[in-house]
Amino acid sequence: MIWLRDVLDELADEAPRADLAERTIRIRERRRRRAVSLVAAAAVVAIALAATAAVRLLPGEPDAAGRPSGGEVSDLPARGVGPLSHAYLTYCRPERGAAPRGCVHGGWRVVTRGGRTYRLADALRSSPTGLRNSPLAISRDGRKVAYYKAAAGTFVVRDLATGAVKAAPTRVPRAWLGSFAHLLLSDDGRFLAFTKAPRLKDPAMLFDLRERMARPLPNGWNPIGLSPDGGTITLAEYAPKTRLQVMTHLWRTSTAGNGKAVDVSGHYLAGGLGPDGRSVAALEVASVPGTGCTRSGGDLVHLDLETGRTLRRVAIRGVSLTDHHAYLRSWVGTDEITLLTSPFRCRTDSGKQDGPAEEGERLDPPYVPFTAYALNVRTGETRRLATYTAQDSFYLVLPGFPGTL
Amino acid sequence: MDRNDSFREFVAAHQQSLMRTAYLLTGDAHLAEDLLQSVLLKVLGRWPKLAHVASPQAYARKALVNQYISWRRRPMRAEVPSAEPPERSYSSEESTLVRLAVRRALAQLPPRQRAVIVLRYYEDLTEHETARLLGCSLGTVKSQAHNALARLRALAPELAPRFAALEELKGTKP
Repeated sequence: MIWLRDVLDELADEAPRADLAERTIRIRERRRRRAVSLVAAAAVVAIALAATAAVRLLPGEPDAAGRPSGGEVSDLPARGVGPLSHAYLTYCRPERGAAPRGCVHGGWRVVTRGGRTYRLADALRSSPTGLRNSPLAISRDGRKVAYYKAAAGTFVVRDLATGAVKAAPTRVPRAWLGSFAHLLLSDDGRFLAFTKAPRLKDPAMLFDLRERMARPLPNGWNPIGLSPDGGTITLAEYAPKTRLQVMTHLWRTSTAGNGKAVDVSGHYLAGGLGPDGRSVAALEVASVPGTGCTRSGGDLVHLDLETGRTLRRVAIRGVSLTDHHAYLRSWVGTDEITLLTSPFRCRTDSGKQDGPAEEGERLDPPYVPFTAYALNVRTGETRRLATYTAQDSFYLVLPGFPGTL
Repeated sequence: MDRNDSFREFVAAHQQSLMRTAYLLTGDAHLAEDLLQSVLLKVLGRWPKLAHVASPQAYARKALVNQYISWRRRPMRAEVPSAEPPERSYSSEESTLVRLAVRRALAQLPPRQRAVIVLRYYEDLTEHETARLLGCSLGTVKSQAHNALARLRALAPELAPRFAALEELKGTKP
Protein backbone atom coordinates (compact mmCIF):
# COMPACT_ATOMS: atom_id res chain seq x y z
CA MET A 1 0.00 0.00 0.00
CA ILE A 2 1.21 3.39 -0.91
CA TRP A 3 1.01 4.93 2.56
CA LEU A 4 3.07 2.19 4.19
CA ARG A 5 5.65 2.32 1.46
CA ASP A 6 5.87 6.07 1.84
CA VAL A 7 6.32 5.79 5.59
CA LEU A 8 9.01 3.13 5.19
CA ASP A 9 10.70 5.29 2.61
CA GLU A 10 10.73 8.22 5.02
CA LEU A 11 12.16 6.02 7.75
CA ALA A 12 14.83 4.77 5.36
CA ASP A 13 15.85 8.36 4.75
CA GLU A 14 17.27 8.28 8.27
CA ALA A 15 19.73 5.54 7.30
CA PRO A 16 23.34 6.52 7.89
CA ARG A 17 25.61 7.40 5.02
CA ALA A 18 28.92 5.61 5.08
CA ASP A 19 31.50 4.59 2.54
CA LEU A 20 32.13 0.99 3.45
CA ALA A 21 34.16 -0.09 0.44
CA GLU A 22 37.60 0.76 1.74
CA ARG A 23 36.81 -0.43 5.24
CA THR A 24 35.54 -3.73 3.86
CA ILE A 25 38.64 -4.22 1.77
CA ARG A 26 40.85 -3.47 4.75
CA ILE A 27 39.02 -5.88 7.03
CA ARG A 28 39.04 -8.57 4.39
CA GLU A 29 42.74 -8.09 3.89
CA ARG A 30 43.37 -8.32 7.60
CA ARG A 31 41.40 -11.52 7.92
CA ARG A 32 43.13 -13.07 4.96
CA ARG A 33 46.51 -12.32 6.41
CA ARG A 34 45.54 -13.62 9.80
CA ALA A 35 44.43 -16.87 8.30
CA VAL A 36 47.64 -17.44 6.41
CA SER A 37 49.95 -17.94 9.32
CA LEU A 38 51.00 -16.76 12.70
CA VAL A 39 53.49 -14.44 11.07
CA ALA A 40 50.69 -12.97 9.04
CA ALA A 41 48.55 -12.71 12.16
CA ALA A 42 51.29 -10.68 13.79
CA ALA A 43 51.27 -8.47 10.73
CA VAL A 44 47.54 -7.96 11.12
CA VAL A 45 48.08 -6.78 14.64
CA ALA A 46 50.78 -4.42 13.43
CA ILE A 47 48.50 -3.04 10.76
CA ALA A 48 45.68 -2.58 13.22
CA LEU A 49 48.05 -0.84 15.54
CA ALA A 50 49.36 1.37 12.80
CA ALA A 51 45.86 2.10 11.61
CA THR A 52 44.87 3.31 15.00
CA ALA A 53 48.20 5.07 15.47
CA ALA A 54 48.32 3.51 18.84
CA VAL A 55 51.26 3.50 21.13
CA ARG A 56 52.26 -0.09 21.50
CA LEU A 57 54.79 -0.89 24.10
CA LEU A 58 58.07 -1.88 22.58
CA PRO A 59 60.56 -4.09 24.33
CA GLY A 60 62.60 -2.48 27.02
CA GLU A 61 65.57 -3.62 29.00
CA PRO A 62 64.88 -6.12 31.72
CA ASP A 63 64.86 -4.51 35.09
CA ALA A 64 65.74 -6.64 38.04
CA ALA A 65 63.80 -4.46 40.41
CA GLY A 66 60.77 -4.62 38.19
CA ARG A 67 60.56 -8.34 37.76
CA PRO A 68 57.33 -10.05 38.62
CA SER A 69 57.13 -11.81 41.90
CA GLY A 70 59.44 -14.77 42.04
CA GLY A 71 57.52 -16.22 44.94
CA GLU A 72 55.02 -19.03 44.84
CA VAL A 73 51.96 -18.33 42.77
CA SER A 74 48.76 -20.27 43.24
CA ASP A 75 45.40 -20.27 41.54
CA LEU A 76 42.95 -17.66 42.74
CA PRO A 77 41.11 -18.99 45.79
CA ALA A 78 37.34 -19.29 45.61
CA ARG A 79 36.89 -16.48 48.15
CA GLY A 80 38.65 -14.42 50.73
CA VAL A 81 40.94 -12.46 48.41
CA GLY A 82 41.73 -8.84 49.20
CA PRO A 83 41.41 -5.88 46.84
CA LEU A 84 43.61 -5.94 43.76
CA SER A 85 46.44 -3.63 42.94
CA HIS A 86 46.68 -4.75 39.31
CA ALA A 87 46.62 -7.70 36.95
CA TYR A 88 49.02 -8.71 34.21
CA LEU A 89 49.12 -11.15 31.36
CA THR A 90 52.03 -13.54 31.13
CA TYR A 91 53.85 -14.92 28.13
CA CYS A 92 56.58 -17.32 28.99
CA ARG A 93 59.32 -16.95 26.40
CA PRO A 94 60.54 -13.37 26.76
CA GLU A 95 63.21 -12.17 24.34
CA ARG A 96 65.35 -11.18 27.31
CA GLY A 97 65.23 -11.93 30.98
CA ALA A 98 63.31 -14.65 32.74
CA ALA A 99 59.64 -15.47 32.74
CA PRO A 100 58.00 -15.44 36.17
CA ARG A 101 58.06 -18.70 38.04
CA GLY A 102 55.05 -20.88 37.28
CA CYS A 103 54.36 -18.89 34.13
CA VAL A 104 51.25 -19.90 32.20
CA HIS A 105 51.49 -18.84 28.58
CA GLY A 106 48.76 -16.34 27.81
CA GLY A 107 47.29 -16.48 31.30
CA TRP A 108 46.27 -13.64 33.60
CA ARG A 109 47.65 -13.07 37.08
CA VAL A 110 46.10 -10.81 39.66
CA VAL A 111 48.06 -9.09 42.41
CA THR A 112 46.49 -7.89 45.65
CA ARG A 113 47.38 -4.65 47.35
CA GLY A 114 49.03 -6.82 49.99
CA GLY A 115 51.35 -8.26 47.35
CA ARG A 116 49.86 -11.74 46.94
CA THR A 117 49.85 -12.98 43.36
CA TYR A 118 47.35 -15.47 41.97
CA ARG A 119 46.75 -17.07 38.60
CA LEU A 120 43.30 -16.44 37.16
CA ALA A 121 43.06 -19.97 35.94
CA ASP A 122 39.52 -19.95 34.60
CA ALA A 123 40.01 -16.91 32.37
CA LEU A 124 40.32 -17.70 28.68
CA ARG A 125 43.96 -18.02 27.71
CA SER A 126 45.37 -16.87 24.39
CA SER A 127 44.89 -19.08 21.41
CA PRO A 128 47.99 -20.53 19.75
CA THR A 129 48.06 -17.48 17.48
CA GLY A 130 48.50 -15.20 20.43
CA LEU A 131 45.13 -13.59 19.79
CA ARG A 132 41.86 -13.60 21.65
CA ASN A 133 42.91 -14.01 25.24
CA SER A 134 40.29 -12.88 27.67
CA PRO A 135 40.19 -9.15 28.22
CA LEU A 136 40.13 -8.20 31.88
CA ALA A 137 38.87 -5.31 33.98
CA ILE A 138 39.06 -4.56 37.68
CA SER A 139 36.50 -2.45 39.49
CA ARG A 140 37.80 0.86 40.77
CA ASP A 141 37.82 -0.39 44.36
CA GLY A 142 39.79 -3.46 43.32
CA ARG A 143 37.23 -5.83 44.81
CA LYS A 144 35.73 -7.24 41.61
CA VAL A 145 37.29 -8.58 38.46
CA ALA A 146 35.64 -9.17 35.09
CA TYR A 147 36.92 -11.57 32.47
CA TYR A 148 35.88 -14.17 29.89
CA LYS A 149 35.43 -17.46 31.67
CA ALA A 150 36.39 -20.19 29.24
CA ALA A 151 34.17 -22.84 30.82
CA ALA A 152 31.12 -20.57 30.87
CA GLY A 153 31.59 -19.32 27.33
CA THR A 154 30.86 -15.78 28.40
CA PHE A 155 31.99 -12.97 30.66
CA VAL A 156 31.77 -13.17 34.42
CA VAL A 157 32.27 -10.73 37.26
CA ARG A 158 33.80 -12.22 40.37
CA ASP A 159 33.64 -10.71 43.83
CA LEU A 160 37.04 -11.54 45.22
CA ALA A 161 36.07 -11.42 48.87
CA THR A 162 32.83 -13.40 48.77
CA GLY A 163 33.61 -15.54 45.75
CA ALA A 164 30.24 -14.69 44.20
CA VAL A 165 30.40 -15.01 40.43
CA LYS A 166 27.83 -13.45 38.15
CA ALA A 167 27.79 -14.48 34.50
CA ALA A 168 26.61 -12.36 31.60
CA PRO A 169 23.07 -13.23 30.49
CA THR A 170 24.17 -14.37 27.04
CA ARG A 171 26.91 -16.61 25.82
CA VAL A 172 29.59 -14.87 23.81
CA PRO A 173 31.36 -17.04 21.24
CA ARG A 174 35.13 -16.82 21.52
CA ALA A 175 35.29 -15.70 17.91
CA TRP A 176 33.52 -12.52 18.97
CA LEU A 177 36.45 -11.41 21.05
CA GLY A 178 38.16 -10.04 17.95
CA SER A 179 41.79 -9.06 17.90
CA PHE A 180 41.50 -6.41 20.58
CA ALA A 181 38.74 -6.81 23.13
CA HIS A 182 37.93 -4.29 25.83
CA LEU A 183 35.93 -4.41 29.02
CA LEU A 184 34.74 -1.64 31.26
CA LEU A 185 33.18 -2.52 34.60
CA SER A 186 30.94 -0.19 36.57
CA ASP A 187 32.06 0.66 40.07
CA ASP A 188 29.51 -1.66 41.67
CA GLY A 189 30.19 -4.47 39.21
CA ARG A 190 26.60 -4.52 37.95
CA PHE A 191 27.26 -3.30 34.41
CA LEU A 192 29.89 -4.60 32.06
CA ALA A 193 30.65 -3.15 28.63
CA PHE A 194 32.37 -5.29 26.03
CA THR A 195 33.72 -3.98 22.74
CA LYS A 196 36.33 -5.13 20.30
CA ALA A 197 38.29 -4.24 17.21
CA PRO A 198 38.49 -4.56 14.33
CA ARG A 199 34.92 -3.66 13.57
CA LEU A 200 33.62 -7.15 12.85
CA LYS A 201 30.01 -8.11 12.31
CA ASP A 202 29.34 -9.34 15.81
CA PRO A 203 27.89 -6.72 18.08
CA ALA A 204 29.59 -5.18 21.04
CA MET A 205 27.46 -5.43 24.15
CA LEU A 206 26.52 -3.90 27.45
CA PHE A 207 25.43 -6.33 30.15
CA ASP A 208 23.32 -5.73 33.21
CA LEU A 209 24.41 -8.65 35.37
CA ARG A 210 21.87 -8.00 38.08
CA GLU A 211 18.80 -7.84 35.87
CA ARG A 212 20.34 -10.27 33.37
CA MET A 213 19.84 -8.13 30.33
CA ALA A 214 22.04 -7.27 27.40
CA ARG A 215 21.91 -4.63 24.75
CA PRO A 216 24.09 -4.10 21.71
CA LEU A 217 26.65 -1.36 21.46
CA PRO A 218 28.22 -0.03 18.28
CA ASN A 219 31.23 -2.03 17.30
CA GLY A 220 34.74 -0.69 16.90
CA TRP A 221 34.49 1.79 19.79
CA ASN A 222 36.33 1.63 23.10
CA PRO A 223 34.38 2.26 26.30
CA ILE A 224 35.98 4.97 28.42
CA GLY A 225 33.16 5.81 30.81
CA LEU A 226 30.05 4.16 32.22
CA SER A 227 27.56 5.96 34.43
CA PRO A 228 26.69 4.37 37.80
CA ASP A 229 23.18 3.50 36.59
CA GLY A 230 24.50 1.93 33.39
CA GLY A 231 22.33 4.26 31.35
CA THR A 232 25.07 6.31 29.76
CA ILE A 233 28.26 5.13 28.14
CA THR A 234 31.09 7.18 26.71
CA LEU A 235 33.09 5.70 23.89
CA ALA A 236 36.18 6.60 21.93
CA GLU A 237 37.13 5.51 18.44
CA TYR A 238 40.65 5.69 17.04
CA ALA A 239 40.41 4.43 13.48
CA PRO A 240 40.19 5.81 10.94
CA LYS A 241 40.13 8.95 13.05
CA THR A 242 39.66 9.93 16.65
CA ARG A 243 36.02 10.32 17.65
CA LEU A 244 34.08 10.51 20.88
CA GLN A 245 30.54 9.38 21.46
CA VAL A 246 28.08 9.53 24.33
CA MET A 247 25.11 7.19 24.33
CA THR A 248 22.29 7.81 26.76
CA HIS A 249 19.10 6.07 27.88
CA LEU A 250 20.69 2.76 27.05
CA TRP A 251 18.06 0.66 28.74
CA ARG A 252 15.02 2.63 27.73
CA THR A 253 14.99 2.78 23.97
CA SER A 254 15.23 0.33 21.16
CA THR A 255 18.05 1.92 19.33
CA ALA A 256 21.58 3.04 19.77
CA GLY A 257 20.47 6.18 18.03
CA ASN A 258 20.72 8.15 21.22
CA GLY A 259 24.41 8.38 20.59
CA LYS A 260 26.01 11.62 19.64
CA ALA A 261 29.42 11.26 18.04
CA VAL A 262 31.88 14.05 17.42
CA ASP A 263 35.09 14.09 15.46
CA VAL A 264 38.31 15.14 17.13
CA SER A 265 40.78 17.03 15.02
CA GLY A 266 44.11 15.26 15.40
CA HIS A 267 44.98 11.86 16.76
CA TYR A 268 44.59 11.28 20.48
CA LEU A 269 44.28 8.40 22.92
CA ALA A 270 41.80 9.15 25.67
CA GLY A 271 42.00 8.27 29.32
CA GLY A 272 39.06 7.19 31.43
CA LEU A 273 36.11 9.56 31.65
CA GLY A 274 36.44 12.05 34.48
CA PRO A 275 34.44 11.74 37.70
CA ASP A 276 32.21 14.63 36.61
CA GLY A 277 31.06 12.54 33.64
CA ARG A 278 32.19 15.20 31.17
CA SER A 279 35.95 15.56 31.37
CA VAL A 280 38.00 13.77 28.77
CA ALA A 281 41.77 13.97 29.03
CA ALA A 282 43.90 12.61 26.24
CA LEU A 283 47.43 12.31 24.96
CA GLU A 284 48.29 13.21 21.42
CA VAL A 285 49.86 10.51 19.29
CA ALA A 286 52.97 11.85 17.59
CA SER A 287 55.18 10.21 14.99
CA VAL A 288 58.86 9.84 15.62
CA PRO A 289 60.39 11.05 12.32
CA GLY A 290 62.14 8.46 10.25
CA THR A 291 61.28 5.50 12.43
CA GLY A 292 57.66 4.58 11.89
CA CYS A 293 57.25 4.62 15.66
CA THR A 294 54.91 6.77 17.67
CA ARG A 295 55.07 8.39 21.05
CA SER A 296 52.90 10.66 23.11
CA GLY A 297 52.99 14.41 22.83
CA GLY A 298 54.24 16.29 25.86
CA ASP A 299 50.91 17.86 26.78
CA LEU A 300 47.81 16.62 28.49
CA VAL A 301 44.95 17.63 26.24
CA HIS A 302 41.46 18.37 27.51
CA LEU A 303 38.82 17.49 24.94
CA ASP A 304 35.27 18.79 24.83
CA LEU A 305 32.94 15.82 24.88
CA GLU A 306 30.23 17.88 23.19
CA THR A 307 32.21 19.25 20.27
CA GLY A 308 35.43 17.23 20.14
CA ARG A 309 37.42 20.44 20.28
CA THR A 310 40.55 20.92 22.32
CA LEU A 311 39.68 22.96 25.39
CA ARG A 312 43.19 23.41 26.71
CA ARG A 313 46.63 21.87 26.86
CA VAL A 314 48.70 21.40 29.96
CA ALA A 315 52.40 20.60 29.75
CA ILE A 316 53.23 17.42 31.67
CA ARG A 317 55.98 17.96 34.23
CA GLY A 318 58.24 15.51 35.98
CA VAL A 319 58.11 12.77 33.33
CA SER A 320 59.88 12.95 30.00
CA LEU A 321 57.52 11.82 27.29
CA THR A 322 60.36 11.68 24.82
CA ASP A 323 61.97 9.00 26.98
CA HIS A 324 58.78 7.14 27.84
CA HIS A 325 55.71 5.67 26.28
CA ALA A 326 52.71 7.03 28.14
CA TYR A 327 49.12 5.93 28.60
CA LEU A 328 46.22 7.43 30.51
CA ARG A 329 44.10 5.27 32.76
CA SER A 330 41.58 6.07 35.51
CA TRP A 331 41.20 9.28 37.43
CA VAL A 332 42.59 9.59 40.94
CA GLY A 333 40.15 11.95 42.63
CA THR A 334 38.78 14.99 40.87
CA ASP A 335 42.00 16.64 39.73
CA GLU A 336 44.36 13.82 38.91
CA ILE A 337 44.46 11.07 36.32
CA THR A 338 46.72 8.04 36.27
CA LEU A 339 49.60 8.33 33.83
CA LEU A 340 51.26 4.98 33.14
CA THR A 341 54.71 5.07 31.59
CA SER A 342 57.36 2.68 30.37
CA PRO A 343 60.80 3.31 28.84
CA PHE A 344 60.60 4.42 25.22
CA ARG A 345 61.94 1.94 22.73
CA CYS A 346 61.59 2.04 18.99
CA ARG A 347 62.42 -1.08 17.12
CA THR A 348 63.83 -0.17 13.71
CA ASP A 349 63.34 -2.15 10.56
CA SER A 350 66.83 -3.54 10.86
CA GLY A 351 66.02 -4.61 14.35
CA LYS A 352 63.01 -6.46 13.10
CA GLN A 353 65.13 -8.31 10.61
CA ASP A 354 67.29 -9.50 13.44
CA GLY A 355 64.34 -11.24 14.95
CA PRO A 356 63.54 -14.88 14.43
CA ALA A 357 62.04 -15.56 11.05
CA GLU A 358 60.17 -18.72 11.90
CA GLU A 359 56.99 -18.35 13.81
CA GLY A 360 57.89 -21.22 16.07
CA GLU A 361 60.94 -19.28 17.15
CA ARG A 362 59.12 -16.06 17.82
CA LEU A 363 59.72 -14.84 21.32
CA ASP A 364 57.62 -12.67 23.55
CA PRO A 365 58.33 -9.12 24.69
CA PRO A 366 60.59 -8.90 27.75
CA TYR A 367 59.20 -7.94 31.13
CA VAL A 368 59.79 -4.22 31.59
CA PRO A 369 59.02 -1.74 34.34
CA PHE A 370 55.95 0.45 34.25
CA THR A 371 55.54 3.42 36.52
CA ALA A 372 52.21 4.95 37.42
CA TYR A 373 51.95 8.65 38.25
CA ALA A 374 49.08 10.79 39.43
CA LEU A 375 48.98 13.58 36.87
CA ASN A 376 47.31 16.81 37.94
CA VAL A 377 45.09 17.76 35.04
CA ARG A 378 45.25 21.47 35.91
CA THR A 379 48.93 21.96 36.60
CA GLY A 380 50.58 19.04 34.78
CA GLU A 381 52.47 18.10 37.95
CA THR A 382 53.08 14.41 38.49
CA ARG A 383 53.58 12.36 41.61
CA ARG A 384 54.73 8.77 41.58
CA LEU A 385 52.17 6.17 42.65
CA ALA A 386 53.54 2.68 42.03
CA THR A 387 55.65 0.51 39.77
CA TYR A 388 54.65 -2.67 38.02
CA THR A 389 56.20 -5.16 35.66
CA ALA A 390 54.57 -6.37 32.47
CA GLN A 391 55.35 -7.21 28.89
CA ASP A 392 53.02 -4.73 27.25
CA SER A 393 50.69 -1.93 28.20
CA PHE A 394 47.82 -4.07 26.95
CA TYR A 395 48.94 -6.79 29.32
CA LEU A 396 48.80 -4.59 32.41
CA VAL A 397 45.42 -3.72 33.92
CA LEU A 398 44.89 -1.33 36.81
CA PRO A 399 41.61 -0.89 38.71
CA GLY A 400 39.04 1.20 36.84
CA PHE A 401 39.50 2.13 33.20
CA PRO A 402 41.64 -0.72 31.86
CA GLY A 403 43.21 1.10 28.94
CA THR A 404 42.42 2.08 25.43
CA LEU A 405 42.92 1.23 21.75
CA MET B 1 40.70 -2.84 -13.26
CA ASP B 2 41.50 -5.19 -10.39
CA ARG B 3 39.11 -7.10 -8.21
CA ASN B 4 38.95 -4.37 -5.60
CA ASP B 5 38.19 -1.69 -8.15
CA SER B 6 35.15 -3.51 -9.46
CA PHE B 7 34.05 -4.15 -5.87
CA ARG B 8 34.44 -0.44 -5.11
CA GLU B 9 32.24 0.35 -8.08
CA PHE B 10 29.64 -2.09 -6.89
CA VAL B 11 29.64 -0.64 -3.39
CA ALA B 12 29.46 2.91 -4.65
CA ALA B 13 26.44 2.04 -6.74
CA HIS B 14 24.47 0.00 -4.24
CA GLN B 15 25.59 0.64 -0.69
CA GLN B 16 23.10 3.36 0.09
CA SER B 17 20.21 1.33 -1.19
CA LEU B 18 21.40 -1.62 0.90
CA MET B 19 21.99 0.64 3.87
CA ARG B 20 18.40 1.88 3.72
CA THR B 21 17.13 -1.68 3.79
CA ALA B 22 19.51 -2.53 6.62
CA TYR B 23 18.26 0.45 8.58
CA LEU B 24 14.63 -0.55 8.12
CA LEU B 25 15.47 -4.06 9.27
CA THR B 26 17.46 -3.09 12.33
CA GLY B 27 15.97 0.29 13.20
CA ASP B 28 19.39 1.38 14.37
CA ALA B 29 22.04 3.31 12.50
CA HIS B 30 24.97 1.53 14.11
CA LEU B 31 23.53 -1.92 13.73
CA ALA B 32 22.60 -1.15 10.14
CA GLU B 33 26.17 -0.18 9.44
CA ASP B 34 27.49 -3.30 11.15
CA LEU B 35 24.99 -5.45 9.30
CA LEU B 36 25.90 -4.04 5.91
CA GLN B 37 29.58 -4.22 6.73
CA SER B 38 29.34 -7.93 7.46
CA VAL B 39 27.38 -8.54 4.27
CA LEU B 40 29.86 -6.61 2.16
CA LEU B 41 32.61 -8.75 3.63
CA LYS B 42 30.76 -11.81 2.39
CA VAL B 43 30.26 -10.21 -0.98
CA LEU B 44 33.93 -9.34 -1.26
CA GLY B 45 34.86 -12.89 -0.29
CA ARG B 46 32.86 -14.19 -3.23
CA TRP B 47 33.53 -11.32 -5.54
CA PRO B 48 35.48 -13.29 -8.16
CA LYS B 49 32.33 -15.35 -8.74
CA LEU B 50 29.76 -12.64 -8.13
CA ALA B 51 31.41 -10.08 -10.37
CA HIS B 52 30.35 -12.12 -13.36
CA VAL B 53 26.77 -12.86 -12.41
CA ALA B 54 23.92 -10.70 -13.55
CA SER B 55 22.95 -9.30 -10.19
CA PRO B 56 25.46 -9.27 -7.38
CA GLN B 57 23.19 -6.84 -5.58
CA ALA B 58 20.54 -9.55 -5.40
CA TYR B 59 23.02 -11.76 -3.60
CA ALA B 60 23.90 -8.90 -1.30
CA ARG B 61 20.27 -8.18 -0.52
CA LYS B 62 19.56 -11.82 0.23
CA ALA B 63 22.62 -12.01 2.45
CA LEU B 64 21.53 -8.85 4.20
CA VAL B 65 18.11 -10.18 5.11
CA ASN B 66 19.35 -13.58 6.14
CA GLN B 67 22.17 -12.10 8.19
CA TYR B 68 19.69 -9.86 9.94
CA ILE B 69 17.42 -12.79 10.78
CA SER B 70 20.43 -14.77 11.94
CA TRP B 71 21.53 -11.95 14.23
CA ARG B 72 18.12 -11.61 15.73
CA ARG B 73 18.11 -15.31 16.56
CA ARG B 74 20.86 -14.68 19.03
CA PRO B 75 19.67 -14.91 22.59
CA MET B 76 19.79 -11.23 23.29
CA ARG B 77 17.10 -9.30 25.00
CA ALA B 78 14.78 -7.74 22.52
CA GLU B 79 15.09 -4.01 22.64
CA VAL B 80 11.74 -2.35 22.90
CA PRO B 81 11.33 1.36 22.76
CA SER B 82 9.46 2.74 25.68
CA ALA B 83 9.15 6.26 24.44
CA GLU B 84 5.61 6.99 23.46
CA PRO B 85 4.91 8.87 20.27
CA PRO B 86 4.25 12.48 21.11
CA GLU B 87 0.73 13.49 21.86
CA ARG B 88 -1.06 15.12 18.99
CA SER B 89 -0.26 18.75 19.60
CA TYR B 90 0.18 22.14 18.14
CA SER B 91 3.23 21.28 16.07
CA SER B 92 2.73 17.62 15.23
CA GLU B 93 2.09 16.69 11.71
CA GLU B 94 0.17 13.65 10.68
CA SER B 95 3.05 12.18 8.76
CA THR B 96 5.40 12.50 11.71
CA LEU B 97 2.97 10.75 14.00
CA VAL B 98 2.47 7.96 11.51
CA ARG B 99 6.19 7.52 11.06
CA LEU B 100 6.81 7.35 14.77
CA ALA B 101 4.00 4.86 15.25
CA VAL B 102 5.24 2.62 12.45
CA ARG B 103 8.82 2.76 13.70
CA ARG B 104 7.72 1.83 17.18
CA ALA B 105 5.56 -1.03 15.98
CA LEU B 106 8.19 -2.36 13.59
CA ALA B 107 10.66 -2.60 16.45
CA GLN B 108 8.41 -5.12 18.15
CA LEU B 109 7.94 -7.47 15.21
CA PRO B 110 9.76 -10.80 15.10
CA PRO B 111 12.63 -10.68 12.60
CA ARG B 112 10.99 -12.69 9.83
CA GLN B 113 7.80 -10.69 9.98
CA ARG B 114 9.77 -7.46 9.92
CA ALA B 115 11.77 -8.72 6.96
CA VAL B 116 8.59 -9.60 5.10
CA ILE B 117 7.16 -6.14 5.71
CA VAL B 118 10.34 -4.48 4.48
CA LEU B 119 10.63 -6.70 1.43
CA ARG B 120 6.99 -6.54 0.44
CA TYR B 121 6.17 -2.93 1.21
CA TYR B 122 9.49 -1.15 0.93
CA GLU B 123 11.44 -3.19 -1.58
CA ASP B 124 8.18 -3.80 -3.40
CA LEU B 125 8.97 -7.45 -4.02
CA THR B 126 6.22 -9.83 -5.00
CA GLU B 127 5.28 -12.70 -2.71
CA HIS B 128 7.13 -15.07 -5.01
CA GLU B 129 10.25 -12.93 -4.95
CA THR B 130 10.03 -12.55 -1.19
CA ALA B 131 9.71 -16.29 -0.73
CA ARG B 132 12.69 -16.91 -2.98
CA LEU B 133 14.80 -14.39 -1.12
CA LEU B 134 13.86 -15.71 2.31
CA GLY B 135 14.19 -19.31 1.20
CA CYS B 136 10.70 -20.22 2.33
CA SER B 137 7.41 -21.19 0.75
CA LEU B 138 4.89 -18.84 -0.78
CA GLY B 139 2.41 -19.83 1.90
CA THR B 140 4.86 -18.89 4.60
CA VAL B 141 5.30 -15.45 3.10
CA LYS B 142 1.54 -14.99 2.91
CA SER B 143 1.03 -16.02 6.52
CA GLN B 144 3.99 -13.98 7.74
CA ALA B 145 2.70 -10.91 5.95
CA HIS B 146 -0.80 -11.41 7.30
CA ASN B 147 0.46 -11.90 10.83
CA ALA B 148 2.84 -8.98 10.55
CA LEU B 149 0.13 -6.61 9.44
CA ALA B 150 -2.19 -7.85 12.17
CA ARG B 151 0.55 -7.35 14.72
CA LEU B 152 1.33 -3.88 13.45
CA ARG B 153 -2.33 -3.00 13.63
CA ALA B 154 -2.49 -4.21 17.21
CA LEU B 155 0.69 -2.41 18.16
CA ALA B 156 -0.35 0.81 16.52
CA PRO B 157 -4.13 1.00 16.95
CA GLU B 158 -4.12 4.60 15.80
CA LEU B 159 -3.19 3.32 12.36
CA ALA B 160 -5.91 0.68 12.22
CA PRO B 161 -7.90 2.33 9.42
CA ARG B 162 -4.83 2.51 7.25
CA PHE B 163 -3.97 -1.12 7.91
CA ALA B 164 -7.51 -2.15 7.19
CA ALA B 165 -7.17 -0.64 3.75
CA LEU B 166 -3.91 -2.43 3.35
CA GLU B 167 -5.45 -5.76 4.28
CA GLU B 168 -8.19 -5.26 1.72
CA LEU B 169 -5.63 -4.90 -1.00
CA LYS B 170 -3.48 -7.74 0.29
CA GLY B 171 -2.79 -10.31 -2.36
CA THR B 172 -3.25 -8.02 -5.29
CA LYS B 173 0.47 -8.30 -5.96
CA PRO B 174 1.16 -12.02 -5.64
